[in-house]
Amino acid sequence: MARKSQQVETRMVAEYLAQEYSKFTFITKVPLGKIDEALLATEGYQRALGLTRPFRPEVDAVVVLPQYLVLVEAKVWSVVNGLAKLPMYKSLVPFTPELQQYLPRDIIMELVVGWTNSNLEIMARDAGVRLRVYCPDWLNQVVQGMHKYWTKEYRDQRQQKIALREYFGIE
Amino acid sequence: MVLQNYVMLEPGIPTKLHFTDHQIEARTITDPVTGQPALRKVLVLDVDRLNDRPVVARYSTMAEKHAQQFSPYLTDKSYRNFDFTITVQGEGFRRSWTVQVTPRQG
Repeated sequence: MARKSQQVETRMVAEYLAQEYSKFTFITKVPLGKIDEALLATEGYQRALGLTRPFRPEVDAVVVLPQYLVLVEAKVWSVVNGLAKLPMYKSLVPFTPELQQYLPRDIIMELVVGWTNSNLEIMARDAGVRLRVYCPDWLNQVVQGMHKYWTKEYRDQRQQKIALREYFGIE
Repeated sequence: MVLQNYVMLEPGIPTKLHFTDHQIEARTITDPVTGQPALRKVLVLDVDRLNDRPVVARYSTMAEKHAQQFSPYLTDKSYRNFDFTITVQGEGFRRSWTVQVTPRQG
């Protein structure tokens, strides 16, 4: 069966970081928050990290600047979710063992989106989040598709494309 | 018979790699879910340094999620200018790769 979805945000973050922060160290998919002390005592550091990994929040990327840590969250679809997560993520940074070597540093919150609107800009300003639009051609097609997703024309076109992929056995 | 030297990551252990080249290869694998043979694209990167020690090895992934973390560096092979410290955690669909990208000095 031909696939109906595609990985978008991982590529978006990787490209954005390579474009904006290639002179600095950055880390993608960083787990945040503390590890339970009792678990650390019984299981040891490495194993405790592994055991708690699925339950810890994960920020898309952390960029290490000389005086700042930039928390980067990228969103194409649920942009408000991304915005809402960032202040929560920021609160966990001082407790994150993986980031201790980079502290103390001030923290910048950055939301990277494929499109924006004035309401998102108001909310971002109020939340102290820096808003960045990253929308190369390939992502623009995804964004356009998203905006047309519920129209009959787009549904028909999409169905036709999936049928063709299935016919040719393309992933 | 030549045995290819592949880098295997240990869960939870950060591994620092430097890449010199890459290929995208097609491989037939047995799908772990269906048990049927399936054709998959694999990103294969040539490794010349492993944890700062010289090696001749390869690192490969067929996970699109992980391959995309390298996508900005593939076209111009600019991964040569960076060190990649990769930490893998979890299994199956919950597998996750934390990748630290550090510009190389000099």
